[in-house]
Amino acid sequence: MFRIALKGILGRKARLVLTSLAVIIGTAFLAGTSVFTATLDRTFNNLFEDVFKNIDGYVRSTEVIEGEFGLQERQRIPAELVDQVNAVPGVADAVPDIQAFARIIGKDGKPLGSEGAGPPTFGSVAVEFKGALWTISEGQWPVGASEVALDEASARNGNYVVGDTVKVVAQSGSREFTLVGIASYGDVRSPGGATFALFDVPTAAEFLGKPGFVDAILVVGDGSRTDEELATDIDAIFDPALKIETLTGAEVTKETQDDIGEALSFFGILLSIFSSIALGVGSFVIYNVFSISAAQRQRENALLRAIGASRRQVTRAMLTESVVVGIFGSIMGFIGGIGLAVGLSGLLRALDIDLPQGGLVVTPGAAFNTIMVGLIVTVASAYLPARRAGKVPPLAAMRATALETAGPGRIRAYAGLASVLLGLVTIGAVTLGATNSLLGVGVLLVFAGTIILGPAIARPVALVLGRPAAKLRGVTGTMARQNAARNPKRTSRTASPVLIGVALVAAVSALAASINGQISDIFSEQFTGDYAVSSQAQGFGGLSPSLATDLGKIEGVQSATGIGTLLVKIDDKGRTLTVITPETIEGNYDIGLIDAKYSDLDKDGIFISLDYAEREELSVGSTVNVVLADTTERALTVRGLYEFNDLAGNRVVSREMFAGANVNSFDFGIYVTMSPGADSKEVRASLQAAVDDYGQGKLLSKQEYIDEQAGQINQLLGLIYGLLFLSVIIAIVGIIITLLLSVFERQREIGLLRAVGMTRSQVRTTVRWESVITSLLGAVLGIVLGLALGWVVVFSLRDQGLTSFQIPVGTTIAIMVLSFIVGVLAAVYPAWRATKVDVLEALTTS
Amino acid sequence: MIVAASTTNATKVYGKDDSAVYALNNVSVDFYSGQFTAIMGPSGSGKSTLMHCIAGLDELSSGSARIDDVDLSTLKDKALTELRREKIGFIFQSFNLVPTLTADENIRLPLLLGNEKGNEEWIQRVINTVHLNDRLTHRPSELSGGQQQRVAVARALASEPRIIFADEPTGNLDSTTGTEILRFMRKAVDELGQTIVMVTHDPVAASYADRIVFLADGKIAGEMLEPTPEKVLDRMKSLGN
Ligand SMILES: Nc1ncnc2c1ncn2[C@@H]1O[C@H](COP(=O)(O)OP(=O)(O)O)[C@@H](O)[C@H]1O
Ligand SMILES: [Mg+2]
Repeated sequence: MFRIALKGILGRKARLVLTSLAVIIGTAFLAGTSVFTATLDRTFNNLFEDVFKNIDGYVRSTEVIEGEFGLQERQRIPAELVDQVNAVPGVADAVPDIQAFARIIGKDGKPLGSEGAGPPTFGSVAVEFKGALWTISEGQWPVGASEVALDEASARNGNYVVGDTVKVVAQSGSREFTLVGIASYGDVRSPGGATFALFDVPTAAEFLGKPGFVDAILVVGDGSRTDEELATDIDAIFDPALKIETLTGAEVTKETQDDIGEALSFFGILLSIFSSIALGVGSFVIYNVFSISAAQRQRENALLRAIGASRRQVTRAMLTESVVVGIFGSIMGFIGGIGLAVGLSGLLRALDIDLPQGGLVVTPGAAFNTIMVGLIVTVASAYLPARRAGKVPPLAAMRATALETAGPGRIRAYAGLASVLLGLVTIGAVTLGATNSLLGVGVLLVFAGTIILGPAIARPVALVLGRPAAKLRGVTGTMARQNAARNPKRTSRTASPVLIGVALVAAVSALAASINGQISDIFSEQFTGDYAVSSQAQGFGGLSPSLATDLGKIEGVQSATGIGTLLVKIDDKGRTLTVITPETIEGNYDIGLIDAKYSDLDKDGIFISLDYAEREELSVGSTVNVVLADTTERALTVRGLYEFNDLAGNRVVSREMFAGANVNSFDFGIYVTMSPGADSKEVRASLQAAVDDYGQGKLLSKQEYIDEQAGQINQLLGLIYGLLFLSVIIAIVGIIITLLLSVFERQREIGLLRAVGMTRSQVRTTVRWESVITSLLGAVLGIVLGLALGWVVVFSLRDQGLTSFQIPVGTTIAIMVLSFIVGVLAAVYPAWRATKVDVLEALTTS
Repeated sequence: MIVAASTTNATKVYGKDDSAVYALNNVSVDFYSGQFTAIMGPSGSGKSTLMHCIAGLDELSSGSARIDDVDLSTLKDKALTELRREKIGFIFQSFNLVPTLTADENIRLPLLLGNEKGNEEWIQRVINTVHLNDRLTHRPSELSGGQQQRVAVARALASEPRIIFADEPTGNLDSTTGTEILRFMRKAVDELGQTIVMVTHDPVAASYADRIVFLADGKIAGEMLEPTPEKVLDRMKSLGN
């Protein structure tokens, strides 16, 4: 009896640790991401506080165009305003500031920093100034049209020392400078991983923007008045028609911090979505462990009931256990989360994104949140099993079987079926024309129904999936198959985390495959040239417009045309125009013009898409008024309509339209057609040389370009897979826990099998296959659900031009292989434990 | 007579020094081929321990145990497992069957584990002998206690082992069902030529055996041939004192 009691306690201790594990992993991610984002937030706040520490005023234009996706372009101001500001009483020093796209080409010819993804690459101004942003740590300030200074990290990464020649690429093309100084920003080598090429004011204006104009003026006061007074005084000297405003140092700091905070909050939201998924998946594991625990203690609980414990007492005892597990697990999870945040910061540093020092931001609030969420999830997950434990009839103490009731109830089956059917009907209704917003409801119903039905379908599906194992492995396979099917509730709960993770992955990749297919189709149809230069820049910088012109001059090239973007205001809202060169686009790129020629597009004209024409009730001859970033207005006449708005968007203008205006415009792609009979190898080599000379974009053949464009969605996928990886880990932990508990429960059976001649390796095989079958069960159901979900999402996007659904064959196979491996890996420890079962003890304890 | 299994100076000690318990104390015994032997003795006399040690389920502290001429202490876990599978049949008091397998699969379990076909004619004969033909596709939960023990007997016989060990095989059964099982075991020896060693403390059960080995306090306390329940009861009384 003593031995049994001891084993009970030991068993419970193991169970305590195992249950906590699920809580720990779920909460660790929650804590990790919140600590990490808080740290990042504070890091940037400190950085900008530091940077603007000595700035008392910030003069800029009030005119700004805000486009989609956070794009914005503020009007530049005339450089001569600087002198006027300097003359204001109370101003000690005022200097112009310019910040624009510029890329530094390393000594090895490769551009520093990454296009599009990652921190931006800037060109800016470095002058001696009382409120200096930059300090020169080596060499001197750049002066004149041929001198540049680099931030410390860029100089090091580009292998540059003072005196070297450095190539820099900006909107107006690429140019070589002499490196005269190395600069540092605040107390970091380079802020947030961005790269900086620094020039004197005239050079920066001419090379990065427009001569005679600057982005803003930085002001330092002499201390004779407050920042607010100073700002008012500066504002007073400008004619309101100039639309100039002056911010105080505190205001500009706050604004910059808020901008970054906004960008980070998106990141934070993304992370918290994934930590919620992780926690949700974890709650299945917690629920499962408590259910198994309740089942294994059924006799013990029945005995308690028989000798007079009330239902509530039994339930409360289990809930108390869940509180202990919840608190313990969440605290451990929080500690683990801090470790995770340290890891993430280390990762950033390894990627050379240098953050200022300051340590992690671990607030009591974050700790409290983590522990509360962990506790609530744990207790909520344990509630049903605890209630069920209370309901055990005292008579069960006399019964031999201590197993969970095997079959799923009829009510459950009907409820699950009803939910699935209702969901399908809802989805069906949408396909027949009901509103898209019902799709979500339908999907949710199907998902919930499947989970409810889980126990009912787990047995048949596990038996089918286990058949190959039984065929392949003989009696061990048969037993594995039967073990996986013998307790359908348990199996389905164990497989649920796998199911959820797999369904999400399958849905996302089905969506991606469909988008991929769509993009390839679009480009195959519309890109009619032989080569393309592509840029990954998304909204900030891109290809210099002169690159297309230069490529067009290469021998063997018939024509090369650039397509770019321009941010403007239409009806006072920020809008993006697509910029083309009508003379060269013919034969390179087809936007599907209807009854019009590219040459119809003059500097006062605009092409609009059919969709847009319909929506805005415009037609050929109508007028569209646009306001450029320099606040000049253009009345454009619609010269033609076109069909393909997938890439070209809804409005196309000629480069001529804004020639000479004070605005930014980059190309995102250049399309090239060879002369008939030209040698494609030679042409490609010459094109490559020209592209290398600019250090911008990537030269690709037609097919490569189509693949690349279609593949861009995969970058997003990478991120999502990475984060879903977490739910895979939780799923593995869930399988491990269940298997361990099952092994513990089946000790006698294992002992018997060992006695009659099962070898240790056969014991392992049995556990392993059971695990694989469980994992595959989740994977198969997950794939079915996920693909269906993917289809639904694709369907709901049909108005956005997504017309064909594609099954991600590769990913589906990969998921199956992976879940097989997951099964094998999860079984390692439980299988080892199973071989350690003491045969005699198993046979003799009753 | 041929010896199927034996021990020489078998000793099994639990604990150390003062608290040492001698479950077996210098036990030397032979079990003969083709015989039905019962091991008897009061509770705690070491019957199960002796059986476990000869059957390769437990290790002796000193002395040796042999199946045929193989000294079990020379075998590693894998070889020992294979020896149990091929040469030994087991019938336990309860929980004899794997709940996920059918009666037929349970009967063939040692063969299936060894990836062997076995002698089909023999297996059919065994199944006939224990009257299980119409129960083969059932799982243990669908069988009565007596049927379950019959399956266990059939399993022990199916692989034509060198020797069968049964530990209180009727301990959990009512007397009618118990009698039935004992008859089957008797039949297996008489008609099928098997060797059985049965641990029991029930004089009636023991009387089915050809020979009884008595144990008391971990030592051999005598033998009896051609036992009857009355003779056995008398002997047990004297041992109990
Ligand atoms: N694992 C063990 N640890 C300590 N003592 C044991 C252990 N197993 C058996 N014993 C002791 O060994 C003696 C013989 O046990 P056993 O062979 O089970 O007797 P029987 O089967 O005749 O009732 C008993 O005194 C018992 O308490
Ligand atoms: Mg015993």
